[in-house]
Amino acid sequence: MILNILFGVGVAFFGFVLQTTVAGVNRKVVARVQKRYGPKWYQEFLDIFKLLSKRATTHGWIFDFGVIMALGGIIGTAMFMPITSDLVAFENFDNFFIFVYLIAVGMLGMAMSASGSGNPLASIGVMRALTTMLAYEVPFMIVVITIIKLTGTSSVSGIAEFQQLAGNNWFMIALPLGGIVGVMSLMGMLGKKPFETYIAPAEIASGPMVEYGGKQLGMLFIMHEITVFIEVSLFVHLFLGGAENILLFIVKYFLVYTALNIISSVYGRFKIDQVVLFFYKWPLIMAVTQAFIAIYLGWVI
Amino acid sequence: MASIEYIILLTALSGLLAYGVGRINKVAGAVVTIIASMFVFVSVTYFGYNNELINSTELFPYVTFSVTYLGLFFAILVTFIFAMVSFFNPFFVEKYKYPAAYSMLYLLSLAGVLGVFFTNNFMSLFFFFEFVVWTSLFLIPMGKSRRAASSYYAFSTFGSFALLAAIFVMREASGTFNIVSSMASVNGTESAIVMVLLSIAAFAKLGAFPLNVWLPRVLGNSPDAVSAVFSGGLEKLGAFVAVLALVKLAPFGFTVDVTGLQASQYVIAILGAMTIVFGTLMAIRQDDAKKLLAYSSMSNGGYILVALTIASSTSVAGGLYHVVAHALASAAAFLAIAAVSRQTGTTKMSEMGGVIHKMPVTYVVYLIAIISMAGIPPMGGFISKWLIFQAVIDKGLILIAVAVFFGSIGSFLYVFRPLAALFLGQEFPKWAKTMKEAPVLMLVPMVILSGLIIYTGVLPNFFLGFINDVLIESGVTPLVLGNFTVEGTNGILQPALIAAVFGVGVLIAFIIFILLKKSRKVELMDTYTAGNFIYTEELLHYSLDFYAPLERLYEKYINITKDFYKKLENKVVTLGQVMKYYFFTNKPEITVFWIIVIIGFLLWGEVL
Repeated sequence: MILNILFGVGVAFFGFVLQTTVAGVNRKVVARVQKRYGPKWYQEFLDIFKLLSKRATTHGWIFDFGVIMALGGIIGTAMFMPITSDLVAFENFDNFFIFVYLIAVGMLGMAMSASGSGNPLASIGVMRALTTMLAYEVPFMIVVITIIKLTGTSSVSGIAEFQQLAGNNWFMIALPLGGIVGVMSLMGMLGKKPFETYIAPAEIASGPMVEYGGKQLGMLFIMHEITVFIEVSLFVHLFLGGAENILLFIVKYFLVYTALNIISSVYGRFKIDQVVLFFYKWPLIMAVTQAFIAIYLGWVI
Repeated sequence: MASIEYIILLTALSGLLAYGVGRINKVAGAVVTIIASMFVFVSVTYFGYNNELINSTELFPYVTFSVTYLGLFFAILVTFIFAMVSFFNPFFVEKYKYPAAYSMLYLLSLAGVLGVFFTNNFMSLFFFFEFVVWTSLFLIPMGKSRRAASSYYAFSTFGSFALLAAIFVMREASGTFNIVSSMASVNGTESAIVMVLLSIAAFAKLGAFPLNVWLPRVLGNSPDAVSAVFSGGLEKLGAFVAVLALVKLAPFGFTVDVTGLQASQYVIAILGAMTIVFGTLMAIRQDDAKKLLAYSSMSNGGYILVALTIASSTSVAGGLYHVVAHALASAAAFLAIAAVSRQTGTTKMSEMGGVIHKMPVTYVVYLIAIISMAGIPPMGGFISKWLIFQAVIDKGLILIAVAVFFGSIGSFLYVFRPLAALFLGQEFPKWAKTMKEAPVLMLVPMVILSGLIIYTGVLPNFFLGFINDVLIESGVTPLVLGNFTVEGTNGILQPALIAAVFGVGVLIAFIIFILLKKSRKVELMDTYTAGNFIYTEELLHYSLDFYAPLERLYEKYINITKDFYKKLENKVVTLGQVMKYYFFTNKPEITVFWIIVIIGFLLWGEVL
């Protein structure tokens, strides 16, 4: 049991290093798209360690407690994440719903801490983040329950294995409409354009993060990196057939994240109510259609 | 050994005692409610758990009792909620107009609730049902609004009449009022009629769409402690009836393709799904914290209905577990809001802010309650929602899944709002000096409820084991339980592991936090304001129209049900006026008219 937990902590740490590196490389990629030179690939690490070493201000105990709860919840969630089908910290317990709902503890911690700062701009940012969440989560869940219904398991590594056993028949291709919905929802989850209203630097003082500095901001950066790791890995496992070995996982991970960044870098930004309207129009219709086709008619490519 | 008859009688008598004592001293009367309801809870739980409750009746031979697991399950839960909430009574009775009557009615409705859960006779069930309605009815207007009471009465009566009609149909078919045998003997069309009628009664009691209008009015306007009792306890009478209607009776209609559900089940599940969506959307736009929780109760009632209609082992277990989880969470949340409103005199979120700095324990209680309400691990609400999701996915109910997930994510939005607007944010100077933490006697029930919410989320197997007994009794396959694991249709859950891993995560985060340089404390007003100078706390607090961009999308459509009932009300009033004009008037021409009609009838009779 202790070994499993240590392994889980290892997964979380791996996720942090992987995502921070990939994010650094992506800053260069996006810079090239915009005809800039871009920072060094390890710039993200520098940012985080600089922040952690600085002396910061706090707005009271809830401000600090929320940050701890946020990072703790996200580390806890990442500990369940499988990397390949065999590299799982807690075999059989990597239930999909744990990822969706345990991640919410982290989000709640951050939202609590931001509101606890007493800055109205932070509360507005949290409101936007939650509203966006209401938008992208429902279509995503509908696609995922289709997958769970088809595979008969809600274990994330089990779903990945199912696709590998079916001869690399990825759900991205087997459920084409669902795959598109998955990509759009993932962009919402990661806060990529056009769904980045709640964290955009140009909007109301960068939203929930407005009051942070020093170690609190550093910890929230770590939390953000691990969150992205969880969300992108979920996509890789659910839609792209997971990975047989760790190298393949890193390649798939990198490709997904980079592709999303490139798509994102050419878009403008939706207003918050437009995000809701958008997700409850096409993605939801597509997700429900896909579910009907796959579950009731049994047509899966 | 304890006789049910004597427990109920003792509760009712202690109600009268509370009235007598309350006439002399208001607070002492309320203390009687604590002692009596604690006694009832302890005796029902202890004797019920050890199978030592006696069914036989000596004083009232017409009323017969029997102990079923289902009844015991609900009885323990609801008496627990009554006992916990009763700790708040001494602090609130002084504000009410009739404090002695309040204490009496509180205990009388507890007696009625016990009767509903333990009787084995439909006629006594109806009697106790009405007894609960009539006692709780007069608790409501002691709060803010009389109209809420009349609304409650109208919908409850509708439900009660449906129940009575169902009872008569069953009596006609079986020749007995006994619950078990009369429900077993109906079949075919009669079974369908009974199921519809019982469902109407359950909908009316649970406050499910389309019989939902009374719930937010009552929960939002009744006295603070009574709201907690309604949401955690009395509303669960509806769940009890729903189990009778949906699990114990065979469903009817054609089979809806693939899902394996009967048409009647599907229709009720759709109504439950609509309850979830409407409750969520309305909860998001409330400014009154109690109304917000009221709409959330409505939406959670929808979950219970959806779960019970699917009628598979995971879904019924999930539905019953949701009854427990929601009762605990909503009681804790209502009590926390009550503790705040006792000091501020308002439950409007836009008028408060920064309560956490003076009431940290209340805040933590509320936080734990909402985490459970939103279905986030490691709290009880996650287990029940997980079980319900399992059933929904297993049956492939896509449209219902949309509603279920919408309600689940939407609950993050509405539960966060009181957190941000009421507890967090700027501390308002008008409360800063006078406000202090709630007294210890009020904290005791809140802390116990929070402890139980965590317990149900970390180690659910004890309660699930009890629910399994209920499932076996109702003819549903029981849930597969391991040592610490719960098995669903497409996965295994180990709640203790989730809690442990979460704990490890928080520990790591805490170590990182503590190792780094200590932060400098600054005031709440010392924030980034984009170059503006703001000196008043109220201006730096974002709480009014919290979800304005989202609300704008559907605010046109919110009054549809309310308008429908308003129109219905007008029609009923018109009908009443017609009645009054023709039957209760002293106008001579009407009298002459009736004399002619009666003579006409008499002559017609003569001719025949």
